[in-house]
Amino acid sequence: MKNWIKKTLIYKGALVALLSMSACGEDFLNLQPFQSVTLDGAVTTLDGYRAAISGAYSSMQSSNYYGRYFVLVPDVMSDDVKQNAQANRARDFSDFVANSQDGISNGMFNTIYNTILRCNTIINADVELAPAVKAQQDQYIGEAHAIRGLAYFDLVRSFAQHYGFTADNSHPGVPIVLEFDESVKPARNTVAEVYAQIVSDLEKSVQLMTINPAKPKTMSKAAAQALLARVYLYMGNWAKAEEMATAVISSGRYSLVSNANYVSSWNAESSSESIFSIFFRADDDNGSDALGRMYILEGYGDYLPSADVINLIPAGDVRLGVFKTDPNLSGNLGTVRVNKFPNPTVQNSTPVIRLSEMYLIRAEARARQNKTSEAQADVNLIRKRGLPGAADVTATGQALLDEIEKEKRIELMFEGHRLWELMRLKKSLVRTNCTNLTCSVNYPNDRFVQPIPQREIDANPNIAQNPGY
Amino acid sequence: MKLKFLLLSVLLSCLSATAFAQFTVRGTVTSDEGEALIGATVIVKGTSTGTVTDIDGSFSIQVPGQQGVLEISYTGYESKSYNVSPSNNNIAASLSVSSSVLSEVVVVGYGETRREAITGSVTSLRSDKLEQVPLASVEQTLQGNIAGLQAVTGNGQPGANVQVRIRGIGSISASSEPLYVIDGIPVTAGDITRSNTTANTMASLNPNDIESVTVLKDAAATSIYGSRGSNGVILITTKSGRAGKPKIDVRTQTGWNTWAISEDRRLKPLTSQQYTEMYLEGWMNRGETLTRAIQRFNGHYPGAVTFGANGEIQQINVESNWIDAISRTGANQSYDVSVSGGNNTVTYFASGSYFSQDAPVIYSGLDRYSSRLNLAVTPSEKFKITNNLTVSYLDQFGMSDGSFWANPLYTGYFLAPTIPIYDDQGRFYGDHQSFFMGGNNPVGSLSGDDERKFNQTRIMDNLSAEYEILKGLKFRSAWAFDLINVQEFFYRNPRYGDGRNNGGFATETAINELNWIGTQTLNYNTTFAEKHGFGALVGYEAQKNRRKGVVASGEGYPDPTLRTLASAATPTTASSDLTEYSFESIFARLDYNFDSRYFLSGSIRNDGSSRFGVNNRFGTFWSVGGSWRISREDFFQNIKGIDELKLRASYGTNGNAGIGNYEHWKLFGFGSDYDGVPGGAPSNVGNPNLTWESTTAFNVGLDFGLFRNISGTIEYFTRESDNLLLDRPISATTGFTDLTQNFGAMRNSGIELTLNADIINKSNFTWSLGGNITFLKNEITRLDEDIIDGTKIRRQGYDFQSYYLFEWAGVDAQTGTPRWYTDETKSELTGNVNEIERFISGRSATPDFFGGFNTSVSFKNAITLDAQFVYSFGFYLYDTEARFLQGDGSLTPRSQTNLVLDRWKQPGDVTDVPYFRWGGNNNSNLANMTRWLKDGSHIRLRNLTLAYNLPTSLLEKGKLRSARIYLRGTNLFTWTKDKTLYMDPEAAINGLVSSPVPNLKNISVGLDIGF
Repeated sequence: MKNWIKKTLIYKGALVALLSMSACGEDFLNLQPFQSVTLDGAVTTLDGYRAAISGAYSSMQSSNYYGRYFVLVPDVMSDDVKQNAQANRARDFSDFVANSQDGISNGMFNTIYNTILRCNTIINADVELAPAVKAQQDQYIGEAHAIRGLAYFDLVRSFAQHYGFTADNSHPGVPIVLEFDESVKPARNTVAEVYAQIVSDLEKSVQLMTINPAKPKTMSKAAAQALLARVYLYMGNWAKAEEMATAVISSGRYSLVSNANYVSSWNAESSSESIFSIFFRADDDNGSDALGRMYILEGYGDYLPSADVINLIPAGDVRLGVFKTDPNLSGNLGTVRVNKFPNPTVQNSTPVIRLSEMYLIRAEARARQNKTSEAQADVNLIRKRGLPGAADVTATGQALLDEIEKEKRIELMFEGHRLWELMRLKKSLVRTNCTNLTCSVNYPNDRFVQPIPQREIDANPNIAQNPGY
Repeated sequence: MKLKFLLLSVLLSCLSATAFAQFTVRGTVTSDEGEALIGATVIVKGTSTGTVTDIDGSFSIQVPGQQGVLEISYTGYESKSYNVSPSNNNIAASLSVSSSVLSEVVVVGYGETRREAITGSVTSLRSDKLEQVPLASVEQTLQGNIAGLQAVTGNGQPGANVQVRIRGIGSISASSEPLYVIDGIPVTAGDITRSNTTANTMASLNPNDIESVTVLKDAAATSIYGSRGSNGVILITTKSGRAGKPKIDVRTQTGWNTWAISEDRRLKPLTSQQYTEMYLEGWMNRGETLTRAIQRFNGHYPGAVTFGANGEIQQINVESNWIDAISRTGANQSYDVSVSGGNNTVTYFASGSYFSQDAPVIYSGLDRYSSRLNLAVTPSEKFKITNNLTVSYLDQFGMSDGSFWANPLYTGYFLAPTIPIYDDQGRFYGDHQSFFMGGNNPVGSLSGDDERKFNQTRIMDNLSAEYEILKGLKFRSAWAFDLINVQEFFYRNPRYGDGRNNGGFATETAINELNWIGTQTLNYNTTFAEKHGFGALVGYEAQKNRRKGVVASGEGYPDPTLRTLASAATPTTASSDLTEYSFESIFARLDYNFDSRYFLSGSIRNDGSSRFGVNNRFGTFWSVGGSWRISREDFFQNIKGIDELKLRASYGTNGNAGIGNYEHWKLFGFGSDYDGVPGGAPSNVGNPNLTWESTTAFNVGLDFGLFRNISGTIEYFTRESDNLLLDRPISATTGFTDLTQNFGAMRNSGIELTLNADIINKSNFTWSLGGNITFLKNEITRLDEDIIDGTKIRRQGYDFQSYYLFEWAGVDAQTGTPRWYTDETKSELTGNVNEIERFISGRSATPDFFGGFNTSVSFKNAITLDAQFVYSFGFYLYDTEARFLQGDGSLTPRSQTNLVLDRWKQPGDVTDVPYFRWGGNNNSNLANMTRWLKDGSHIRLRNLTLAYNLPTSLLEKGKLRSARIYLRGTNLFTWTKDKTLYMDPEAAINGLVSSPVPNLKNISVGLDIGF
């Protein structure tokens, strides 16, 4: 018996030894991911900043954002664009019948806030880098501020009534979230607060950015100033709008594309008047979901240019060159398609802001401040670039403002501006060449803004739905 | 680690409790007819000490003490007991064919046991049910054969993934799939492909190589698998050789298949006449004139139809039936050869097989080649080495499903019959790309213009050595690897369809997976004081899995016959990824029985895994079970009619580690590049507390045998899953839309009943009947906020699969417009979608009850007829593509299915189909409404086999051991409760049907010959 026990003990010892041999260390269970790094360690070097800012631009390429819908939706809700018979995308917005379940609103809301998260990650990184790279670090942080400012501007335009809708802008805007916290359930800030955030972000970015990028595919000091010009214009701050537009124009970094090169410039990555554009390469192209493919024959071809805008363009104007005849079209569908984003294989760049807009912003800002002749000069510059022989604008007062609005509509058509302009100018939508279910929408109207997505309402009880949804 | 040693020490000290004298018993085991039974189990009663008989039916066994009882059992035979002592140590046992299932030896976690000793819920299926089934994967055979188990593909693609649920759905967002263990190795199952629609890594296993499939259902059976046991465990044991002269089996089969849904049921495309009428009507309902509508028609389909002066259809010039054009009669064939045998030191089983199946849709198919060698070497009585090696290769040709234009069973209905299939150059027509779904042409796509296929190579090897250290004490070391290599190829041609804008494109994917596992176990069995049987198992196991993927794609193909990426003008993607997980575990099991009447078992396992957050990395799972063989009690011996009665109960915990590999980390992932500059972004919210889902399971069952010809089991179970991982929606203003947390709880409970009866059992005629039924109830027991998931809602107090839909109220007979109920009260009707809300109407994708039944008739042991039915009742199917295919014109100018022929045309028409209008009819094709919901209750004749076994006299002439010829029908007949059901009722577990390859109806003939 004793012997047996002794024997057992030996075996037991042997077993323990064997088991411990195969027992692996702590590391056996502590497996690190191969495709990702931990969030804490992500933005700690200049390379980390570069990757993070690249990620922020990447988010803007999404077909929910500058890749398509953010630009498309305000146009299909306007009098510049009409539905083609087989339109199957964004149709509910085009017809003003969307509801809070809408996938486009949901996608846009999520994507823009995700862009903001990406910016917050950079802005809040709080890392001290070597003095030699301080300027580059500041540039990246500045770009993050600029993108965040733009993202809030885009959100508040899409999901809230415009600045000036109420006298003190106390109407609901969108929630402002500046730090990552997975548990937040924020209520909507007022439009006044959101615009204050936008201005603060853009002003900050102007201070931080000192490096001029080689290509207008990233934010720059001028791009931030240009965006500020637009923001101030929306806010009715004419003096600041003029100041910012002037700063960009006089920076000397941009020049208007010539009449001869105007049409071909739309198929180029960028042009001399591009201040900030979202670029696409074959590997980050949105495929069928690219903005241009909503218009062109080789794509879905869901939307067509409205005769309402085409008829505003004088004969001989180079801007008639951004249309292309489609023999399959007839009747009230017209005869042409939008060809501003013509490439059927690799997605064309989406212009976020261009120099011609600066002249038109300044024209309006000046006209509003009764600087009539300077305003006329600005609008003439754009008009004559389109049609060199065009007569000078001589109108004054409201007529001048109307001329500027018309010129801006023609110049920026299909770039996602028209709905915002209508709202800002407190105008009703009237479609004369109408192929939609809805041919007119009176100002003011709940339907000019998108619903807060139902998914967000369900997840965040503090956020209020827009009226009418 | 400390805990592990402590545990081992405790268990090992238990082992030193016994030391007695022993004696040797020798004997032979034969059948009633005098044939030696090879491999019969001989066990010293009250212990798990045992041996098996050799090639002559002989055995030799050491019996402890001065006397004992030997229990001799053999599958399919009645067990017998013999008293033995040193003076009575030679036994000539003769066993008769059994009706009781309690005597069989069953594989359980890390070992095997006799069925009578089982305290948990364990069901086995033997090779006779698994061989020569004309389906690619063995899991498909489980449906209807095992109570409590649902196995569905919902897709007729040969080699499609099979979803298996054991006792319901146990998880909300983690995996609900069981753990698959092949010859002791937990293996990768399910679909690991990237660009294919549906695939199953398990399809590489040749079902003919399988000896048994054992399904472990309750905690007593599964807790030994710890954090991976909660969804049940499927143990697959492959065949091994038995000593004896070589046995050669040759099996061949060939067959034909078509859609399982009968011709009159399934959806049909429109004819050109029907489409043209609908087309014109659709424009006129938009307020256009007939002339203008015809103009439009001619713009789209020039020359397809000749119209008369008054706009009447005079002549149809183009008539394409796209669905017919992609349909065919499918075929299947299989050839399988195996040889097994051996002597006292070496036994072997070797096989080679080829299996091929073509679905009734062109292109869709599967080819499998496999071989296996299972070898066992016993150099000495105490030492045994086994090696099971299998290599397989399969090729699958698949297609898209869902609402992709490339899905032929979707586009096939959508494409107007007025579009020709071929163009005037004889090529597949693609000129409709400007206005019609990218010019997809499913006939061309499936005829070789496009490709979507993959191949899989799998090598699995399991090497083990077992040494008997002391009498009853065995040490086993098993090392196994499982290598899977998948190569996918996806190509779209440049001329038409999805590749038209890129000049064609292709994506190649390579996935390489290595899974290794080492298991060390120590097993001890003994009996003391004659009636106390005792068994103990302790073990240590480490496992690591590493999967690497490489994806590359390119576009711009100058020559449609050159399709490798070398020919692509522009590379678009080149990427690779790597992911790993590991498990490290110790486990133990104790078994005790008294007099083979009372059985107790307990198991415990401590698991650590890389998948769990640092704060919750290790978990312990345990179970206890007990059973009482009432029929062995003295007081029971006088009760007539009841041959067997066994009551058992178990309780315990296990876990579900079926979560993402890196879910707990807060991550910043790369790949969000911008214009060539590498970019990254926060990619995972992360949760360091994240851990396994835990399940507490209770089971009580009664096994019985009556009148020597009825046997059965009735069980009641509950399965409470807690700490369920939930992707809980969070405010999108955070930048994320959801966060994974251990939060929810769910309960599955049910009753399972299995009955088998030999109604007639005469020497020249037998008739047996069997069946099982499972009543299943699922309820989410904790969830603080509703989660809407597509058509379903997860809400506390409701079934996990509750549909949450707008309630369709049909068509207004006066206006032809759609109507809905505004809300749950169903008191108000409206035609305005802004006034309606979704609600739970009590309809769910979870069946109320399901199961199968079978009958078998045998005449003179020569002719046999087997039938097996499967059924499922009280569940609903949702057609996800119906809102497009029956969209009342919402998608211009796509065709529709024959259901549109019932559309409303004039006031007074009573129909469920609204009027047709291009651009849609007042949201009549809304998503998530009950218009697309159908009752899926059905009974299906899964298998009908008529076989003829050649009589012995003929066999002897041909020097054959056996020969069997048969005719086998699969899914020959389906009865559905809803007579308007056009979908196949055997859909995915979630009830969603998205225009898949139809399930197959198959007729095969086969010949099995044994030498």
